[in-house]
Amino acid sequence: MAPILEARHLSKRFRIPSVKRSTVREHVLGMLRPSSTEELVVLDDVSFSVERGETLGIMGRNGCGKSTLLKILSGIYMPDTGEVIARGPITPILELGVGWNPELDAIDNILLLGSVMGMSLKELRQATDEILAFAELERFANMKLQHYSSGMASRLAYAVAFRAVREILILDEIFAVGDAGFRERCESRFRELHSSGHTAIVVSHDPRTIKTFCDRALLVDRGHVVVQGDGLTVADAYTALLTHEPAAAAPTAALPEAVPAS
Amino acid sequence: MADAPTRRHHWGGLVWTLVRTDFKARYHGTVGGFVWALLKPFTMFLVLLGVFSFIFASDPVYKRNLLLGLFLWDFFAEGTKVGIISMHQKGYLLTKTRFPSWIVVVTSASNAVITLAVFTVAIVGFLALTGRTPSPVELVLYLAYLVAALLIVAGISLAGSVLFLRYRDLNQVWDVVTQAGFFVAPIIYPLNILPERFHFYLYLWPPTAIIQFSRAVLVQHDIPTLRAHLMLLGMTAVVFTAGAAIYRRFAPRAVEYI
Repeated sequence: MAPILEARHLSKRFRIPSVKRSTVREHVLGMLRPSSTEELVVLDDVSFSVERGETLGIMGRNGCGKSTLLKILSGIYMPDTGEVIARGPITPILELGVGWNPELDAIDNILLLGSVMGMSLKELRQATDEILAFAELERFANMKLQHYSSGMASRLAYAVAFRAVREILILDEIFAVGDAGFRERCESRFRELHSSGHTAIVVSHDPRTIKTFCDRALLVDRGHVVVQGDGLTVADAYTALLTHEPAAAAPTAALPEAVPAS
Repeated sequence: MADAPTRRHHWGGLVWTLVRTDFKARYHGTVGGFVWALLKPFTMFLVLLGVFSFIFASDPVYKRNLLLGLFLWDFFAEGTKVGIISMHQKGYLLTKTRFPSWIVVVTSASNAVITLAVFTVAIVGFLALTGRTPSPVELVLYLAYLVAALLIVAGISLAGSVLFLRYRDLNQVWDVVTQAGFFVAPIIYPLNILPERFHFYLYLWPPTAIIQFSRAVLVQHDIPTLRAHLMLLGMTAVVFTAGAAIYRRFAPRAVEYI
């Protein structure tokens, strides 16, 4: 059977201009003053695949390109080259705690986020109580999100996405939210999804998470996949990378050069 | 990029939720709050009426023309203003998952549409009560002009929403354009006070045609010619198509600029 998700030769560069122009006025006034741009290579020829029902872990240092990779896999960003082939619907949970309209209460926000994640209003109305209960926010259902703490907002995001997921779940820093009780509920919900055949891609800095939950993992460094293997191998390689052991001296990515972005 | 996964999406639910929550956030979910939306053009009407009805005292339909013009203008100005910043405002949803971003652009006009719909019911009711009921043909034509106005607002909003993410003062540029445009469109003055050779240029500004045609059918009971209708159709098609083309060009990477 074909893999449920394939990343083929993904590359992504960001252009960093020496002078940032973000208004009409700056563009007009800056026409006579040329600005140079620097290219930041975030991902360079990244390929991998995920099998149906598998949990794939992704590790890497801050700024190594993990978040960009997740956004490309989720279809939020476009790669410069390469393609993502998804053979099932994807539900991402990224940038926790900022996906809300602060002027609206929890119920309206659940309806908004749930409906962009593809749930119908009927499904959402039936699931609202369950979502609030999972996030332990029943008492705050009618409170505007602007009065929520960031922890409460993140718990709500997890609760919606865990309910909305249909086949592939993409999680940034799973289980890094909430108190021990909430983490425990997330972990058991995650096991439930895994045993019912859902596919997951999990980014984490926590070697325990990768070892415990992932069938396979990737270590990303400077835009390249430098190690692929089981969770244990990759978690150890990541620890080694952080402590600069030679075991992690994998091929290094090209440093940003003045290459025109496509 | 692979095609969107095959799965039934319930975008109808998203559209309804966006419309409902936009209304709620704007008017605090109360009918009382909504009255403010109607009061804005109506207050403008009373003030302008106080001043200009003396100047145009010889025009028996000046009041009705002014009221109709102001509400149609308000729809255009409000719809485009909100539309241009719509992707920026809904960035918190667009960075979460992949869904068609044009939905947030098009639904952003919903509050302006609701205001215009309430006004339309009110003015048609008023005309009926005062024995000047528009004929079914005139009503259908008026509704067609509203659809054209909506398509023009949608075209400008689609282009503006993606460009605003790159040019963050575009809303201020548009403010200046609409401020000048208020006087280019014959809202507070009758078009016929200007020499006829200028009319063509004023008609190039889309609100002019929408306002003049609506006045013709609802107030003057004088249906514009087929040629005039074809020109309105052409202008609507050009504005909407150009807006949609700019949107298609910039939308795939728009989220990277949020």
